[in-house]
Amino acid sequence: MKNLTIIFLFLTSVVFSQDEVPNVTLNDLNGEGFDVRSFSEDGQLTVISLWATWCVPCLKELDAINDVYPDWQEETGVQLVAISIDDARTQKRVRPLINGKGWPYKILLDENHDFKRAIGAASVPLTLLVKNNKVLYRHSGYSPGAEDELYEKIKEYSK
Amino acid sequence: MRKYTLALVVVIISSVALNAQDFGTFNGGFESNAQWLQDDKDLGFYAPDDQFRANNYFFLNYNVGKFTAGIQYEAYLPTPLLGYDPTLEGNGIANYFVNYKHENLDITAGYFYEQFGSGLILRSWEDRQLGINTALRGVKVKFDPTDYLNLTGVYGQQRVGFELSEGTVQGLDVNLNVGELLGVEKLFVEVGGSYVGRYQENDGNTKVPTTLNAYAGRVDFIYENFFANFEAVHKDPDVLVNDNTITNKAHTYKGSAMLLNLGYAKSGLGVNASFRRLENFSFYSDRYAEGNEYNQQRINYVPALTKQHDYLLSNIYVYNPQSRLIILDFQQQAGEMGSQVDFYYTFPRGKFLGGKYGTKLSANFSYWGGLDATFEPSTDSYSSEFLGAGNRYFRELTVEVKKKWTKNFSGIYYYTNTIIDKGIVDASLLGEKDIKANIGVVEHTLKLGGGKSVRLELQHLWTKQDKENWAGTLLEYNFSPRFGVYVNDAWNYGGEETHYYNVGGSYTKGRSRLAVNYGRQRGGLICVGGVCRYVPENTGFTINFSTSF
Repeated sequence: MKNLTIIFLFLTSVVFSQDEVPNVTLNDLNGEGFDVRSFSEDGQLTVISLWATWCVPCLKELDAINDVYPDWQEETGVQLVAISIDDARTQKRVRPLINGKGWPYKILLDENHDFKRAIGAASVPLTLLVKNNKVLYRHSGYSPGAEDELYEKIKEYSK
Repeated sequence: MRKYTLALVVVIISSVALNAQDFGTFNGGFESNAQWLQDDKDLGFYAPDDQFRANNYFFLNYNVGKFTAGIQYEAYLPTPLLGYDPTLEGNGIANYFVNYKHENLDITAGYFYEQFGSGLILRSWEDRQLGINTALRGVKVKFDPTDYLNLTGVYGQQRVGFELSEGTVQGLDVNLNVGELLGVEKLFVEVGGSYVGRYQENDGNTKVPTTLNAYAGRVDFIYENFFANFEAVHKDPDVLVNDNTITNKAHTYKGSAMLLNLGYAKSGLGVNASFRRLENFSFYSDRYAEGNEYNQQRINYVPALTKQHDYLLSNIYVYNPQSRLIILDFQQQAGEMGSQVDFYYTFPRGKFLGGKYGTKLSANFSYWGGLDATFEPSTDSYSSEFLGAGNRYFRELTVEVKKKWTKNFSGIYYYTNTIIDKGIVDASLLGEKDIKANIGVVEHTLKLGGGKSVRLELQHLWTKQDKENWAGTLLEYNFSPRFGVYVNDAWNYGGEETHYYNVGGSYTKGRSRLAVNYGRQRGGLICVGGVCRYVPENTGFTINFSTSF
């Protein structure tokens, strides 16, 4: 407990800044490295979704967004980056799965959970809405209809 | 010791903060998983003395310019959750690190995570649900001299609870993007090589090697819609250990692993096939930890290459990889070999079987068996065939159809046929008895508008062996995307007539999530990400809370 007290005392003397997208570089399916911060750098509104091939709510969410994605893009110019946290057990399923489902998203691989840890995600799915690397909205878990709430936020910040 | 460490971290953080123009940013998180165990006479479960238990994790990272520093404080109060390694008792700063990252250089001192290739030769990682944290404490350097070449070096000791392993691990990983080097656009070819060594004292027993080296090579290949990769690992000869004791008179045995993936993917269709062969492929940072039930001190990651199931009843008969070499009078095995194939297809909208919204089909087939080997326990020897059929451990076929019927109504239809060696399920001897099971699941979701929805799962497991038939159901109601409740029951009506019921709910607000549950936990292997831990049957309340800032 004493340790914690020291930490909290130290923290009170420093101001917390806004939530930022962490500086982590991840590979895409073609082995090319991308800094996760590069997507929303120049004011591009971006949804970052942490998912896995074995996570049913994740697949439901990304399927649900897929149904309306062309409309979202047309109306707000938003883009979606789907970061898979699949490790060696299931990572080879990512490519056939996204093709089988016909998802148009940019896919990145967080095989050893560097991004998941840096963003403090206890579980997936985790959905972030970001712009200029500031996290504007954050939601964990998925139930049907959550995509509508996300879209309300997208519209709000696209203006 | 921990106090000094903490002081050091605070000093480093403060000095970095003071020297910088920019005062930097903090981020962190807190996760608590607690249980309050209750006596349950019908189940035959009596709560242990520490009825209330909690695993708590608090982490804080501070970033300023090119530097990041962080700590993770863990508290298992008063004892870890049931089924976790009991040596985790207590609390303290479990991990800390300082990282410097600039252009092509990335240096970490303190505790770090790393993976070489697919993890077959080295993976240090964390999984809180499994109670795994195999972070290394030492130094990691990543250096990318050019776009097409990257190098990683690691040196350190693995974390074991709040202590460190006796063994020291060192490793080097090199990746070369050949396609980029040659300027070929359509073709992606990357080759990689790794070395990992473990050093551990042998206490004067010269028959036991102090340094154990392993080498890996791999190649990744993508051309248009085709992709393939191959990885092979060789491990130098080492002694065999069973239950903390060196067996087989300190003879040494080499180990190997081979993994091949082949795939094809285009819009609407994806196929992937994996083949793997493991022989005497245990790799621990402490040789005496081989085969420990809490997965502590594993240097590498050898997951089960099977379908990861999503439903209560399909998670009863789950495969667990068999990588060990065991030459004892009563137990003999040399490794495993097998394959799995995944298939994904979408029937397009408006076309045959596609309907208005399209229909998604996926299937998985997997087969795993022992190596074809003969054993001579009297001379501590064995021989194995490279290919050839050993005992079947596991065979499974799953077919899954996802169909959106209307704008608000969708279904999932799931069928699994499994044959599993009973020894895999209850960790008894292999090759004695098979369990054959069929599992069917029907799931429907109805959207009620305004974020409200209701979901119903009906499940059934048919088997004449083991505990015979099961029926299962789950009903979930979401009041909004932030608040939902559920009730479920897995009923073993064919055998012990036991109900494993649960009721609970979750509430999410911004960056925080709270979930509560009351019910019965089915005993057995709980597998996450292909790694399993044994959880005893129990009854009680659980509370999970997580937040980040």
